[in-house]
Amino acid sequence: MTNVSTMTPVADQPEAPAKSGARLGLWLTLPAQLLVLFIALFPILMQVYISLTDWSPLDGIPWWRAHELWIGLLNYSDLIADSRFWGAMWRTLFVMAVCVPVQFLLGLGLAVLFVDDFRGKRVLYSTLLVPMMVVPAVAGYMFFMLFQSGGPVNDLLSIFTSDPVRIAWLSDPDLALIAVMVADIWQWTPLMFLILLAGMISVPQDQQMAAILLGASWWRRFFTIVLPRMKSIIIIALAIRVIEIFKIFDTLFIMTGGGPGVATETISVYIYKVTQQELIWSYVAAIALAILIVLSVVSVFAIKRMQRGQET
Amino acid sequence: MSEIVLESLGKTFGDFTALADMNLTIANGEFMALLGPSGCGKSTTMNMIAGMLRPSCGAIRFNGQDVVDVPMAKRGVGFVFQNYAIFTHMSVRENLAYGLRAQGVPTADIKKRIQAFAELLQLESMLNRRAAGLSVNILQRLAIGRSAILEPAIFLLDEPLSNVDAAFRAVMRSELKSLQGQFGQTMVYVTHDQLEAMTMADRIAVMDHGKLLQVGTPLEIYNNPADTFVAKFIGAPGMNILQGRLSQSADVASVGVPGVGSIPLSPALQSAVRQLTGPEVQVGFRPEQVNVAGAGLTMHVGLVERIGARTIVHLERGETTAKAVLPADVALPKAQSDWTFAVPQEDIRLFDPKSGQALKARTH
Amino acid sequence: MQRSISFEVFRYAVILAIVAISLVPTLWMISMAFKPIAEWSAAGADLTWWPRNPTLDNFRFIFGQSSTDLIVALERTAGRPIFASLLTATLGTVIAMTAGTSAAYGLSRFGQGGNLPLALIQLRLFPPMAVMIPVMIMWSFLGLIDNWFGLSLIYGIVTLPFAFWLMKTFFDDMPREIEDAALVEGCTRWRVFVRITLPMMRPALASSALFVFILNWSDYLIALLLTTRDWATIPVYMASLSSSMTGQLYGAKAALGVIAAVPPIIMGIAIQKHLVRGLTFGALKE
Repeated sequence: MTNVSTMTPVADQPEAPAKSGARLGLWLTLPAQLLVLFIALFPILMQVYISLTDWSPLDGIPWWRAHELWIGLLNYSDLIADSRFWGAMWRTLFVMAVCVPVQFLLGLGLAVLFVDDFRGKRVLYSTLLVPMMVVPAVAGYMFFMLFQSGGPVNDLLSIFTSDPVRIAWLSDPDLALIAVMVADIWQWTPLMFLILLAGMISVPQDQQMAAILLGASWWRRFFTIVLPRMKSIIIIALAIRVIEIFKIFDTLFIMTGGGPGVATETISVYIYKVTQQELIWSYVAAIALAILIVLSVVSVFAIKRMQRGQET
Repeated sequence: MSEIVLESLGKTFGDFTALADMNLTIANGEFMALLGPSGCGKSTTMNMIAGMLRPSCGAIRFNGQDVVDVPMAKRGVGFVFQNYAIFTHMSVRENLAYGLRAQGVPTADIKKRIQAFAELLQLESMLNRRAAGLSVNILQRLAIGRSAILEPAIFLLDEPLSNVDAAFRAVMRSELKSLQGQFGQTMVYVTHDQLEAMTMADRIAVMDHGKLLQVGTPLEIYNNPADTFVAKFIGAPGMNILQGRLSQSADVASVGVPGVGSIPLSPALQSAVRQLTGPEVQVGFRPEQVNVAGAGLTMHVGLVERIGARTIVHLERGETTAKAVLPADVALPKAQSDWTFAVPQEDIRLFDPKSGQALKARTH
Repeated sequence: MQRSISFEVFRYAVILAIVAISLVPTLWMISMAFKPIAEWSAAGADLTWWPRNPTLDNFRFIFGQSSTDLIVALERTAGRPIFASLLTATLGTVIAMTAGTSAAYGLSRFGQGGNLPLALIQLRLFPPMAVMIPVMIMWSFLGLIDNWFGLSLIYGIVTLPFAFWLMKTFFDDMPREIEDAALVEGCTRWRVFVRITLPMMRPALASSALFVFILNWSDYLIALLLTTRDWATIPVYMASLSSSMTGQLYGAKAALGVIAAVPPIIMGIAIQKHLVRGLTFGALKE
């Protein structure tokens, strides 16, 4: 790398950077490119290969001989008929449909409260961010404890009722899902708050002033000026949260292990179980690829839309 | 239409006094310019009139009614921001309609008024265009129209031309002036450009460092500045201020500027001079009033700038500097040589050397 | 903006309520960590709020010094998992920051590697579970299962997008004049990068490194799949304690939770200014 020199005459300087730097640039991006290739290329090819077989590590043969158990697209057709898979998918989407809007509205509301200056703003702001910095696995344990039948959540509810509340949250199929969603909302609302506040602050002050001087009430200003100008940031915040919640695992798994039964089994949990407990890795490969393909198509669409959005 | 009265108006931010004890009456339908350099308090004053800032002391009255406790949205004031603050995510039509919608005007009326104002402001052809990316000229008209459509009694403009190319400024100035003529609102116009104020305003309020120095018509301020700041600020270049000493020989009172010469004083000026405690005095005259054919003052010519129809001559003597503005067809003094000129008596102004205040004659 | 008194009261009420909700779970766990075993099992499933006799026993317990109150001792103490977390998170950060910063500079200054932004975003898009089987197979093949380097490597890869995007936006923000001035004086591009750009970027590098470290330290799933005994990280170790004994270990696990959770919180607050930038891949700054 030290043989790249810029001993060019000063007159050439404006063009030199691109040419002489290109080689250094290539070297600089090389490690990252290699890592990405490593993690992208082999895994995909491997998965494609394995997904067309009936291989499992229990079979005693190494993976590259999986072709001996060739079954073609059988895994994929099994996937379509797999009710447990679709159950997990439905549950994941349900969690998404509930948690993301709730987090969004709470985050938006908090952002509205934090737009002005007030005493103690900085400290309060920092403390509001804490939940999303808690290690998700530890948060899982925290909420596991909180939702125990003798735990603080029930104690809190007991304040409002005459008899002490002793709900076994994590043993009840419906309540367990609610508990999991509460944990997710607790942990990730601050993220929405963080992003939406940054977006709200960037709305031009003078346009808001102009609106006030034209007689606009706070509500009108909020819906005609603030929100429209936050549109791209809102989309980013929602996209980030939707993507992350699709992958939900750590907190949930430690809280309920996917149970009781399959009551809280989301996609990641289902895949984990098939991987580690039933060890049908070829089937998992098929699932993984199916998801990869769908997500790739969706992301390409979304990115194209975003790029078009940025051009207008 | 509204008369605005500012009474002992003041604003402090912590230790910093942005505005002190301002008293001003802006008549109904008048175009008043608040003129001064950055930080003089003109924008602070206007923001208080609009309601964006709360005064620290004093009163603001619209037609006799104190509005200090009236919230911004209810003051009935039109405001044009420096960068126009157009709602760029909306169309031109929606910008115009915004205030009307906010005040619950029925849709049919809104449509009619938009049509009328769009015609007036020549914005008809772009009503459905997005407001982003339009030229500055159009944005100015839109900014005015957006407020004007509500027919406010008072119009406030915060340096609306400072972002405009010098070439365009003259065009937009005249547009602005004709619009004001049409609408007939009371207009308060903040600017740091004395040329803008001089050409557009009915009256000018000159401010500096939070204080109102002088209020008057452009001509009044030009001819009889209240102090040396106003004298030097108005005019391009501003009035020459030279340090002088009074002297009396025979019956003639005159002011002598060391190394330059002596200026006899008219009777009016002589009476004005009686207020002074010492012999020092500041002498002022405008560069345009220099009389080439006369004598009495001699200074060394430094730079001779020829700018088309005029020539600016930079003069100096020791530490004293001055400028003269001559029409292009007059015989020009040679650079790096001494030059003799005169200033007509009636054009001389005198100022107190300590306070800078103009010395006014007691008798006529 | 002037607000009415009733609004101010409302604002504070809402904010303080949410602050309470935000902090209580964590504070509760911290208080649990100092609660002696006696107070745990006494009333069965009764988990009260504050310990009456705060103690460090739980912390001592997880490090292998069992107190007389306990029936059993741990097979494995917490020392090793803590070391595992520290080592792999740090090494993973080093890998991600090295590759990411270099690539970010390469793209920012020389326009090389234009495919990386898209590729790296896609990397974050897919559920880790969807790519773990090939990784498990590959790692097993390379002998990197339950291995410090294996875990660090995958950590580095998984957090590479964040390191890249953070540093790319920081480089883009940095004016080029200083580098150009050095170039005119005859420095090679490499020297400029190492001697001028990087030192100037120290705060940005530190913040990005902390951000990536937090992510690596917080991982659970990857370590769960790629480690068994020797290199289990704190979250994996913590989860593994439950299967053996319940009821006895609330305090111990809380103590572990405190050790695991408190450092990232402190780091996160230290770099909070840059959190938006990191979490939105540079789409937003502060």
